[in-house]
Amino acid sequence: MRAVALGVDVGSTTCKAVALDAAGRTVLERLEPADPRVEPQVERMLEELRAVAEPGAPVGATGYGRKRVRSSRVLTEITCHARGAFAHAGRPGLLVDMGGQDTKVIRIGVHGEVLDFAMNDKCAAGTGRFLEVILGRLRVPLAEVAGFARAADRKVAVSSTCTVFAESEVISLVAAGEPLSGIVRGLHQALAARVAALLRASADAAGEIEIWMSGGVAQNAAMVAALEEALGRAVAVLPRPQLVGAIGAALAVLPGGHP
Amino acid sequence: MILRRARYELQGRLGGRLLAAFEGWLARRRHSRRRPGPFGPPLESSRKLKELMSVHYFEGRYADGAVPVAWVTSGFPVEVLRPLGFHAVYPENHAALCGVQRLVPALSDAAEREGYPRDLCSYARTDLGSLCSGRTPVGRLPRPDLLACCTNICQTVLYWYRALSARLGVPLVLLDTPYVYGSTKPHHLRYVQDQLEELVRVAERISGRRTDPEALLATAGKAKEGTELWGECLAAGRHCPAPWTAIDGFFHMAPIVSLRGTDACNAYYRMLRDELLDRARRGVGGLREEKYRLLWDNLPIWFAVRELSTLFAARGFNFVCASYTEAWAEAGARIDLADPLGSLSAAYTHVLLNEDLEHRRTLLGRLARDYQVEGAVLHSDRSCKPYSIGQVDLRERLARDLGLRVLLLEADHSDPRAYTAEAGETRLTAFMESFG
Amino acid sequence: MTRNEYIARQRQAHGRLSLAVLPVHYPKELLTALDVLAVELWGPPGPPRGDGAGRLQSYVCALARNALAFLAAGKAEAVDGVLFPHTCDTIQGLAALARELGGFGKAIFTFLHPKGPPRPSARAYLEAELRALAGELERFTGRALRPERLRAAMRLHREIDRRRALLLDERRRVALSDSALYELLRRGEWLWPEDHLAELRAAAGALAPTPVQEGVPLLATGYVPEPAGLFGALEEAGAYLAADDYAAVGRRLSRPREDRGDEGDPLRLLAEAYFDAPPCPTRSADSRGRMRYLEGLLERSGSRGVLVHVQKFCEPELFDLPALRSTFAARGVPLLVLEGELEAKLPAPAVTRIEAFVEMLTAGRGA
Repeated sequence: MRAVALGVDVGSTTCKAVALDAAGRTVLERLEPADPRVEPQVERMLEELRAVAEPGAPVGATGYGRKRVRSSRVLTEITCHARGAFAHAGRPGLLVDMGGQDTKVIRIGVHGEVLDFAMNDKCAAGTGRFLEVILGRLRVPLAEVAGFARAADRKVAVSSTCTVFAESEVISLVAAGEPLSGIVRGLHQALAARVAALLRASADAAGEIEIWMSGGVAQNAAMVAALEEALGRAVAVLPRPQLVGAIGAALAVLPGGHP
Repeated sequence: MILRRARYELQGRLGGRLLAAFEGWLARRRHSRRRPGPFGPPLESSRKLKELMSVHYFEGRYADGAVPVAWVTSGFPVEVLRPLGFHAVYPENHAALCGVQRLVPALSDAAEREGYPRDLCSYARTDLGSLCSGRTPVGRLPRPDLLACCTNICQTVLYWYRALSARLGVPLVLLDTPYVYGSTKPHHLRYVQDQLEELVRVAERISGRRTDPEALLATAGKAKEGTELWGECLAAGRHCPAPWTAIDGFFHMAPIVSLRGTDACNAYYRMLRDELLDRARRGVGGLREEKYRLLWDNLPIWFAVRELSTLFAARGFNFVCASYTEAWAEAGARIDLADPLGSLSAAYTHVLLNEDLEHRRTLLGRLARDYQVEGAVLHSDRSCKPYSIGQVDLRERLARDLGLRVLLLEADHSDPRAYTAEAGETRLTAFMESFG
Repeated sequence: MTRNEYIARQRQAHGRLSLAVLPVHYPKELLTALDVLAVELWGPPGPPRGDGAGRLQSYVCALARNALAFLAAGKAEAVDGVLFPHTCDTIQGLAALARELGGFGKAIFTFLHPKGPPRPSARAYLEAELRALAGELERFTGRALRPERLRAAMRLHREIDRRRALLLDERRRVALSDSALYELLRRGEWLWPEDHLAELRAAAGALAPTPVQEGVPLLATGYVPEPAGLFGALEEAGAYLAADDYAAVGRRLSRPREDRGDEGDPLRLLAEAYFDAPPCPTRSADSRGRMRYLEGLLERSGSRGVLVHVQKFCEPELFDLPALRSTFAARGVPLLVLEGELEAKLPAPAVTRIEAFVEMLTAGRGA
């Protein structure tokens, strides 16, 4: 099946692109670290996708650099993530998207429409960058993070509300002999608490509504666990969590609308 | 109603005292083996202070339905409410308690969940969070029948009490005190007095009583005396070594704020004054060894009082005076029983935080000289703009005009999330090291 | 002509002194009657520069920090003095700073307007405060305040407010972009009133007989519509401001509840008129009254969403956020909170939020 719609999510950390067929299924996907020179990178990625697509397949663009792409339609990542999430779930829910530089909470309605949203994009301490910086400093590879956090038998709180000061705090904790596993768990709990506060800031997160996660940070099992703990609710990670936005952008230009 | 009233009185006289005595006994048991550290012997009066405040909060639990209840800002002329039988609750004092007990993050979270941003005054967030969550360390706060707000300490209380009024569905009386730039104008004082008369009528309606002029005079007289007695307690700090620390002062300030105009308040300060003068006579200091004397400006950092005072005391630094405690000694000076409402209007208009920077600079200069300080810490309290704006300039002036070593310390009076202890302590230590 | 050139021209050609005025509420009629040009200082936007920048802590709003830096850096050389209304703790402190320890050197005036409901005490006080300010301004200008000049100034400003109100109330029929409309309205912050009125009269031609605005109508409430890039972002997103409750704009439009006419002491009339302006958290203690007013504004304008445009650290506005959220949530009207710091340019995240909000409204929610 050839693709009939292309979607690109030009993030500040990663650039994602997908090609969808008429049924909305992914034919080809691409994910790369974002190049500051956005236009050549996006063009190259789109070229690869066009190779499997019908000629003239429309392009939907979203993300931080969405306006720098030659596209048929430009939509914010809020709208696109909602569409992408709904395409998978088919039900209303609350989506927590944790990317490299921002965290979004989007309340999705029965038709996949955005009912409400909240963003944490002013302070790194509420985003994936918080973990990246500190885990990097501790030299804990991302692949081992979940294992570390699970192994923690003690709660080690990280109380600084600023990424930079949290880094110093963590160094002190290590020097004081606190176990790395506890610190890693504490970091995730601190971030989860901030995300949970954002969730409550968005109107009625209470009730039986489902909670999903997307974004690069959703691949961190320790983060999912910490968020579940902070909310007291189950959180389901969407499949291919980093591509949700790009999928939503492609769906927005799918001829005939989303199936 | 009569039964409730009886219970309120009984709990105040008896129940509260028993509770305080029991808590005091528990505390003494816990601390009996604790070494005093760099501090001098603890004040005997502290026990009575705890009892006084415990009784206040304990009887508060039984106040609503028994007596009219007012939630009052610290700078409000409570002297007009007491004669009408109001039980006065001070949300700021309650919030300070929450600050000391490190409950503010949890309470603020409750307020933030309601949509109040974290940038707002931490006292307000604490109070609104306590209201929204129903959580309080004092058992229970009585529901108000009246909210009494005076803007002489800040304009923020107006927005805070406005929110309380909407949430509780309770009337708000406002005493709007025009800020004093240099001096007041006659129409400013006229305005304050007119408002006072207007709001007394509202308070009378709510309490179901008329103001007894004798009772008003008595209360105003007690308030005046109370501030004078408090001033005498503070003045004991002029001795070298000072018989207590300004940090103690922040705690012993509670009665003049929350119990102003009562016999219990004045009796307490007589006792405290006598103890302080006795210690001064015997050369017993707040610190075991007082090497340097400092001044503190702005509110205390409630969640870190113990750590910070110990940090300083360990090196022989004593805070011997503070503008915040001094403010309450000044307040009653203008009360004149020949003209109660007029003088109350003047007294409450001239409260420290309602006067401009030049006034504060003069006060700090006077304190520095009278208490012979060599340095000052200006707490740049992010929750208190009236107190904090101008401190950058004040620091320069104090250093230049009085030759003081001055540190500007950014923190918050009750939200620990706004203060990085490690960085703060490093700066404070470096400050102390600069004294040689 | 730049603003500074205009101010200089006003002095040279007309002998008019000028006063920089801090937000929000002040008796502009009094200044006009004494031939004083008011130059409102809403920032300016952008990071504070110069020596004055560090004198206010980082937790003070950008409006005040930029204003102080501006005054302290000598940029206010164009004006002859400054007027500080008693707006909030920060501006209260700013006045003290400028006056006492700032070495500012210009004439400083304060306008301590009353807070709370229109009680008899407040009315009497305001009249006295206006009289006192009038006296100070007389000494400053060397002119006497004549009652007929004050009446004329009041008529002039009533006419200006009427025309401004018309443009804002009938926004749907105004064939101007938000950028153009607000540029016109905001020139009133420093133009001599008669010049501003002339521009408003000329703009009457932009009023079409039927609605011409096609974008998604929004109600905006907040302090100041800065940075001006906000309007471009709204336009690009497909929305426009159909209702205005900005303190700098719609919230200061006097809407007399009754025609008081011109009889009687003009200062007393001026004091009465003060209580006619829409509810503003820097003046009133009634949160519920403000919500009711905004609901009425929403209904009359047909707005489909509410934009709450606050400045970081602005307490009067921020304490009302929960009430704003719950009021409009109860009506099923989406609300977006934008928190700014008077940046020179609207930051990308703010643009994204606006676009996402409009996408949300366009997709049907709130339709």
